[in-house]
Amino acid sequence: MSWFGILSEKPWIPEAQGTTAEWGRTAYTPAVKISLRFLLGVISVFFLLFFVTFISRSQYDDFLALAGEPWQPFTNSMRLWINTGVLVLASVAMQCAVYALRCNHGVRLLLSLAVGAVLAALFIVLQISVWQFLAGMGYSVAGNPANSYFYILTGLHALHLLGGLFALGRVVNNMRFEGNLQNRHAAIEACAVYWHYLLGLWLVLFFMLTRTPETYALIAAACGLG
Amino acid sequence: MTHIAIADQTAHLHHPKTFIGKYIWSQDHKVIAIQYSVTAIFVGLIALLLSVLMRLQLGFPGEFNFISPDAYLQFVTMHGMIMVIYLLTALLLGGFGNYLIPLMVGTRDMVFPYLNMLSYWFYLVSVIVLVSSFFVVGGPTGAGWTLYPPQAILAGTPGAGSGIVLMLLSLAIFIVAFTMGGLNYVTTIFQARTRGMTLMRMPLTIWGILTATILGLLAFPALLVSAIMMLFDALLGTSFFMPAIVSLGEPLNHEGGSPILFQHLFWFFGHPEVYIVALPAFGMVSDVLSVHARKNIFGYRMMVWAIVVIGGLSFIVWAHHMYVSGMNPYFGFFFATTTLIIAVPTAIKVYNWVLTLWRGNIHLTVPMLFAIGFIFTFTHGGLSGLFLGNVVVDLPLSDTFFVVAHFHMVMGVSPIMVLFAALYHWFPLVSGKQLHTGLGKLHFWGTFLGTYAIYLPMHYLGFLGVPRRYYALGDTSFIPESAHVLNEDITIAAILVALFQLVFVVNVIWTLRSGPRSVRNPWGVASLEWHTPDVPPAHGNWGDELPTVHRWAYDYSVPGAKQDFIPQHVAEEDVEYEAGGRRVGEGE
Repeated sequence: MSWFGILSEKPWIPEAQGTTAEWGRTAYTPAVKISLRFLLGVISVFFLLFFVTFISRSQYDDFLALAGEPWQPFTNSMRLWINTGVLVLASVAMQCAVYALRCNHGVRLLLSLAVGAVLAALFIVLQISVWQFLAGMGYSVAGNPANSYFYILTGLHALHLLGGLFALGRVVNNMRFEGNLQNRHAAIEACAVYWHYLLGLWLVLFFMLTRTPETYALIAAACGLG
Repeated sequence: MTHIAIADQTAHLHHPKTFIGKYIWSQDHKVIAIQYSVTAIFVGLIALLLSVLMRLQLGFPGEFNFISPDAYLQFVTMHGMIMVIYLLTALLLGGFGNYLIPLMVGTRDMVFPYLNMLSYWFYLVSVIVLVSSFFVVGGPTGAGWTLYPPQAILAGTPGAGSGIVLMLLSLAIFIVAFTMGGLNYVTTIFQARTRGMTLMRMPLTIWGILTATILGLLAFPALLVSAIMMLFDALLGTSFFMPAIVSLGEPLNHEGGSPILFQHLFWFFGHPEVYIVALPAFGMVSDVLSVHARKNIFGYRMMVWAIVVIGGLSFIVWAHHMYVSGMNPYFGFFFATTTLIIAVPTAIKVYNWVLTLWRGNIHLTVPMLFAIGFIFTFTHGGLSGLFLGNVVVDLPLSDTFFVVAHFHMVMGVSPIMVLFAALYHWFPLVSGKQLHTGLGKLHFWGTFLGTYAIYLPMHYLGFLGVPRRYYALGDTSFIPESAHVLNEDITIAAILVALFQLVFVVNVIWTLRSGPRSVRNPWGVASLEWHTPDVPPAHGNWGDELPTVHRWAYDYSVPGAKQDFIPQHVAEEDVEYEAGGRRVGEGE
């Protein structure tokens, strides 16, 4: 039933005698599925608000974009592309885990999860190396708002990935106790979806943080912030 | 494979075996609710004490040497933040949300009990971090509850060193706690309802909590974003919100930041926050009014729609808090229009509450007195909001006591009236004992009349132009002597209201220690929470079998029925009717 249909119900009308009460539509759907949807919604709002402030701040005179001129650090963004590749592989490994789960292949499942986790951890390490690269070039946190946003946004993205690793650890640990097969499947699938989401989020961050001033001006104008 | 409905899954229930497992590291939603409530009330009492100190200074300036200008600003700030976030949000959602959701929708616990437990402990840590700011060098922040930069982190503002950092950290931890709890609430409501409990059969309390939780999940990130950015500005010298500035004769290292950006972020959270507090209160007061008027809620569907519409609109009114920030007039016009539109669903709710009382069999119990008191205070606070929603009226009244009076009536006194209505109403369920009625009525009248004695004259002070946040008014030509006398009167009323809250504390302690046991379901309530096998409900709530729901939660005084209420889990064929009696509409 659509939301309009649900909200149009007339609950005061008495149930006909002998009617069997039914469970709701999602009563058997694992709870982790819906909670993940809400969680991703919350994280999206969180980063969206950062993006709005970022675009707004990018239009001030003192904002020096990290790409555009040859001497700027991300005019050549090869380091970030390598990190992106690692995160893509992590996401692929998590998807392999989902397929292994569906085929009921225990060893392949654990192996894929391990690879997904290790690659995610590697991505975080590589991001830290990018920070060191930036700091080495004199791009400190407080040096310019563009630097500040780079550190803050990549840091928060890494923190979300760390949270995912913690959750994955708990899911693997609980697999021994979780008797309900459906819940077990849902938990692994949720981890995979979370990994894909963080990959998508990283691609957006990558795009946003490495544009030229002209592109920022264009985005700002399109958002009415110019 | 046999699938078990989410509501009936018992694997995650973790039956506690030790005292610590049962009462400290508990995963039972009821214990967590009580932990939330006790912590929130404790910290709320601190905020109450701060307001009394603040009023002493305003009523009798210069009489109390220990209240310095810095201390006064710190009292104002901490009072506001504690009341809005750590008391009202935590008690309404963490306390009542936790207790009532599983019981009202008919499930055994929250869907993620471990996360629920973590939510409380994170909340407790946030409270400890906040309170610890009273004990650091420089004391807590005195920047006002809105924490506007640049002054919040500039030398010269009280608590600009450690105080503001602890406040921002505490808020960040609180938001993490809220998110963990909030995910639990919405998932439990959407997926773990018992058989027959359709969304439109849920009590309005649950609708209010559900919508407020979704608002919180979407609005608190704005506060988190601003808290993180301001922490960076304060600790690492970034310039998100800090413009180029000269402080105490020295140019600072900041440049180019936008303080107005912070205001947008803050109020994008701040206005929905009003409804995060108000919507659960709307829901609970609807249920209390219906039960104690022995009449179904008037316009149930309209009440649900109004809750949802108010929730949606609350995201597009935030800039009405910023009319004096120098915004584009067209921008102000847009926000004034949306602000006035939100009055429509709100007014619908007020009419429906009054129409629920109309020709009802009103029992003037203590919860009912508080609920009726709420209708008065909320209507008054809401009407003054219509004044302030208009740019031309807001400009002269902004930053005067009129604003203080308005928001205290609408989101201070009103939700607190509902909180007390709810505490008196559900106390027998939680404790198995009923609070003393005489003390309860004394508490009500003291609070109701006392708050009017505080806030009605405060509107008048605002019209005179008396500014808020000032430590002392001094000799100002446009403020007459009578305003000072009025300030003294308000302070005396505030002290009396604070003392009347002690009546409630005494009532709770006395009842828990030596009060008589309550009868089962003393108010004759139809919704599920009062129909558990044990009262107070045991771990797992429902014994061997979950209840099955056959009707909405408002079947009171059904024509022809022998009992004056029909519980939600009673099927139509099991309802006893008088001889020859029948439902209205039956056979027509």
